[in-house]
Amino acid sequence: MTEMTDVSPPRGRTALRPWMLVLPALLFLAGFFVAPLIDNGARSFLGEEGGFTLARYWQLLSDRFYLGVIFETVALSAGVTLISALIGYPVAYFLVRKAGKWSGLVIFLLIAPLLTSIIMRTFGWQVLFARRGLVNNLLVDQIGLLDRPLRLLNTPEIAIAALVHVLVPFMVLSIASVLQGVDRRLEESAQMLGAGRVRTFFEVTLPLSLDGVGTGAILVFMIANGSFVTLVLLGGGLQTLPLLIYQQFNTTRDFGMASAMSTILLVIALVCLWLQLRLVRRQGG
Amino acid sequence: MAREPAGSAELVLDGIAKSYGGTVAVAEMDLTLPAGALVALLGPSGCGKTTTLRMVAGFETPDRGAIRIGGQDVTGLPPHRRNLGMVFQNYSLFPHRTVAENIAFGLRMARIGRAERDAEVRRMLDLVQLPGREDAYPAQLSGGQQQRVALARSLVVNPRVLLLDEPLGALDRSLRESMQFEIRGMVNRLGITTLLVTHDQEEALSMSDIVAVMRAGRILQAGAPSEIYDRPATRFVAEFLGTSNIFEGTVAPGGAGLEIAGAPLLPLAGPATPGSRAALSVRPERMALGPEAEGLDIRLDARVTGAVFRGTYAAYQVEVPALGRELFVYRQADGPLGAVSFRLGESLALGWKAEDAVLLGAG
Repeated sequence: MTEMTDVSPPRGRTALRPWMLVLPALLFLAGFFVAPLIDNGARSFLGEEGGFTLARYWQLLSDRFYLGVIFETVALSAGVTLISALIGYPVAYFLVRKAGKWSGLVIFLLIAPLLTSIIMRTFGWQVLFARRGLVNNLLVDQIGLLDRPLRLLNTPEIAIAALVHVLVPFMVLSIASVLQGVDRRLEESAQMLGAGRVRTFFEVTLPLSLDGVGTGAILVFMIANGSFVTLVLLGGGLQTLPLLIYQQFNTTRDFGMASAMSTILLVIALVCLWLQLRLVRRQGG
Repeated sequence: MAREPAGSAELVLDGIAKSYGGTVAVAEMDLTLPAGALVALLGPSGCGKTTTLRMVAGFETPDRGAIRIGGQDVTGLPPHRRNLGMVFQNYSLFPHRTVAENIAFGLRMARIGRAERDAEVRRMLDLVQLPGREDAYPAQLSGGQQQRVALARSLVVNPRVLLLDEPLGALDRSLRESMQFEIRGMVNRLGITTLLVTHDQEEALSMSDIVAVMRAGRILQAGAPSEIYDRPATRFVAEFLGTSNIFEGTVAPGGAGLEIAGAPLLPLAGPATPGSRAALSVRPERMALGPEAEGLDIRLDARVTGAVFRGTYAAYQVEVPALGRELFVYRQADGPLGAVSFRLGESLALGWKAEDAVLLGAG
């Protein structure tokens, strides 16, 4: 009997527990994500002659130049977010309500650009809008609408257009997933009660799909905030935090300042995440 | 938009038809709802009743025919200009608005001022017995309460016609019965013309003034509930509304009765063409067993093969050797309600009156 009831593992070995399965991923994240982040954050508080300092943050948050860069970063992201929402909502509406059997194709067309590298897509814009690129070639040589090629590259407008192009699918998919769940009979109820199509949209459809717009907006805002490649290649004189961080590291070699800036960028992203969590929780509750 | 007095508009469906890519949903339907009447469209799913309702609402356009409300042709009007009320099966309350905002929605669309809106909301909440629930959200209400709010929301705008789409389908059984009385009473008090769509025969029979039984896009029979139940026109109607014992045979020479091979002649209540194929329907509760079968127009020997207690009545299955089949008989108990008073295997007499055998048409 005693032999049979003894089921404890042989000495010297430990049983495999479920939580151990996440250990490799945790170790990887700790080594290559958390540690550099802490290192980076610590460096921003380290004074020139050692010791703790808030001087860099004081400078970043009081100097007109840096404030301008932070403002430009947020303003650019906000603008891209707004344009993405305005373009994305009708697409999402079409996808959910009108596309029918073509919805698979529409989703493919939306996602297909995401399968190519962001550098390729950005180069695509350069090819299109270069001085002797496709657009100018068409306008000047083929149609003869203009005498001289337009200066299209390196303008903020092209940078914004490229960012919107990259980010609009996130907006569309976020809105579409919520719009999908809006009961058509709610819209019909509104119509029965005397609301025309436009009023029905603004009274019922839009309010009930705002969560999707919110999720999409936070997603787009966060990605736009950290965008780098697009602005380097098409920037047009825009000066944002990621570009400035790059300069600090590579040109000025002021690592402390660069660290402080990236912390601020991180804080903006965290605020966005917090907002999104709040939004999702309110939705669930 | 001026607010008209409540209800009392006649609704006329004049030969409306609707097909979807070759499939006929509704075929040339004619139906008149007298002002203030509650009319039920009853039928199995896919019979075209919902399509009919959606055409009246304005969500579907008929291929042919016209819909008139109070003499006005509304066939081409969009839903929001028809001034109708509609209660959906799942109530479709706006989840992002309070009870008061839901009820006031139609008034706001009609640009009625805030003070009057608030007064109307209170009046409607009293009417549907939910006073003081203005600030609740739909998700905080029970199914029955949501149903009341949905009714209040559709009635507050004084619609010319009220449309009810399976209004009790989502409620549990006990609540359903009290809501049947309540809706019936409210519609009567307001005198509002109402079109009810349902697949539940009990709901249709107990709530409406007129029942129209539909099948495959057509109305098979329309009439008062008792008439539809007691005098079904076709076999489908007889079987869809409750249980029926159906006998098929040939009308005997002189129209004396229905001939079924190897069985006695079954008496007919009315005239029939001799030699034609015909079917008779006898309701289980019109059949008598044992001593009660004495002196009836037809009497047959039977044997009890099944007996079930049903609460207010007992249901029997009896085998009739002369007919070579089994029949259903319902019997109100004289002793304790529904008690089973005949034993399994017991041999007894079965009978019915000629007038209770209804001659059915084709369909």
